[in-house]
Amino acid sequence: MKRFCMTLWVCVAALVLLEGWGGYSPVMGAVNENKSQKLSVLASFYPMYDFAVKIGGERVSVTNMVPAGMEPHDWEPAAADIAELEKAAVFVYNGAGMEHWVSDVLGVLQNRALITVEASKGIKLLEGHHHESHEDEHEDEHEDEEHDHEHEDEVHDPHVWLSPVYAKAELENIKNALVQADPEGKSYYEANYEKYAAECDALDKEFTNILAPLPKKDIVVTHQAFGYICERYGLRQVPIEGLSPDSEPDPGRMAEIIDFVKEHGVKVIFFEELASPKVAETIAKATGAATDMLSPMEGLGEEEIASGIDYFAVMRRNLKSLAAALQ
Amino acid sequence: MALFEYEFMRRAFIVGLLLAVIIPCIGVVVVLKRLTMIGDALSHSSLAGVAAGLVMGVNPILGAGVTCVVAALGIETIRKKMPQYSDIAIAVVLSSSIGMAGVLSGFVKNAANFNSFLFGSIVAFSDFEMTLVVCVSFAVMLAFVLLYKELFFIAFDERAARLAGVPVGMVNNIFTVLTAITVSIASRTVGVLIVSSMMVIPVACAMQLRASYKRTVIYSVCFAVAFTAAGLYVSYYARLKPGGTIVLLGVACLILILSAKKLLKF
Repeated sequence: MKRFCMTLWVCVAALVLLEGWGGYSPVMGAVNENKSQKLSVLASFYPMYDFAVKIGGERVSVTNMVPAGMEPHDWEPAAADIAELEKAAVFVYNGAGMEHWVSDVLGVLQNRALITVEASKGIKLLEGHHHESHEDEHEDEHEDEEHDHEHEDEVHDPHVWLSPVYAKAELENIKNALVQADPEGKSYYEANYEKYAAECDALDKEFTNILAPLPKKDIVVTHQAFGYICERYGLRQVPIEGLSPDSEPDPGRMAEIIDFVKEHGVKVIFFEELASPKVAETIAKATGAATDMLSPMEGLGEEEIASGIDYFAVMRRNLKSLAAALQ
Repeated sequence: MALFEYEFMRRAFIVGLLLAVIIPCIGVVVVLKRLTMIGDALSHSSLAGVAAGLVMGVNPILGAGVTCVVAALGIETIRKKMPQYSDIAIAVVLSSSIGMAGVLSGFVKNAANFNSFLFGSIVAFSDFEMTLVVCVSFAVMLAFVLLYKELFFIAFDERAARLAGVPVGMVNNIFTVLTAITVSIASRTVGVLIVSSMMVIPVACAMQLRASYKRTVIYSVCFAVAFTAAGLYVSYYARLKPGGTIVLLGVACLILILSAKKLLKF
């Protein structure tokens, strides 16, 4: 018994020592390392990652916090992710209620030097669901962060990156933060921003040119993520479920959608890569429509990322699917 | 009726009613054996099985079936070691399943795949799943009818059953395997919620009526069929989530029976 107690005390003492030593060194180390090495940037999920890579280029090393193929709506950071945040120089997140964990996590961080970017800042957000109970909301989305903890009660549609115009605005916010974190690289970041902003404009034109002349304007989607595309190009989205994917649809709603599809001659029911296609398939089967994928780009599979696909490639693929469906 | 114009509603009724017949049959035995939470435990182990299947490149449905059977046999084994505390067996299997699913899901590369195996709704399932449910339902019904007396005996008093010459071990194993397969397939098709609650709530309602074993089985099935049909009907017109509606109707009915009993003092 005595020996057991001794061992226990030694273990406790060792743990305390390790804790004290481990707690200080990474932060100190990060400050020293960052001067010589690349700027370390953490991005909350795929589009943020891709945008940060595009602007930061060779001067930064970007890490995507949500692993490839995970659904970011349900993701929460693990202890290791928070440790990464303690070491990072810049943290890029979309905001607008997409990452419900951000305000909690930023509150506990000790990393005073961390520059955080809410990429959707300054964008005029669309109302999300038709929740009647949110009429007393403030205009400023910052005030809404408290309300965004429950994803079901989402006030704003967070999927702003799906509009090329807003993607450009997010790129600019990210650029400004990188300039702030690394003023020496200002001209480099500016040049990258100009390059991709031009590409966003080109993409926007492509969307307008291809979608405008098409006769049909209604798209049926499983996840109400395409509000900004619809707003920009005059389409109408008919969502089967709400802003979060993967909730059980109610049968009355499904019947309504089936009627809508038949009435308007909708040819394609869109599903997304990270949620179950079962509901889309059920409706397609009942109406004789086809199913196709329309990516909200919340996360790409590992193979897709490995194949070098990026924001613009996925958007062009979406455009192709949309064009085929709206013929 | 308008709701039967839609094929998905007709399919929901067929599968829902089939499951409403077989799940309470299993449920009666499960409740009497004090294994009420087995549905929950097994559906979580099927989750672990799906993850394991995806990680190892085996068919996830097969993976789910296998882990479910293993988990159910595990519950049976632990239960035999501690017959008075059969809920410990469930807690152990439930927590190890959740732990395994959590760890394994970290290795699943394509979450889309994972989600499509976990997501189940009574109003959206594939043809293949429907076929599986129909097959399993008939297998369970057949087994329940053939083993009716043996199960009845075991459910009430395992020791007496053994003394009376019932092959307790074999019957228990057959029953356990059938339970596992039913849970693993049904929870993917119609959702975990419906499966685990249909195993208990209709049986609880029927037991309040203090009838014989045979009558209790029949009443349980009737209750389950009524809850499912009414739940689908209500959820269609009131625009509610079907799974939750079915369960809540069942609970409301149970509360009603309990309070009626208290008022009438019978």
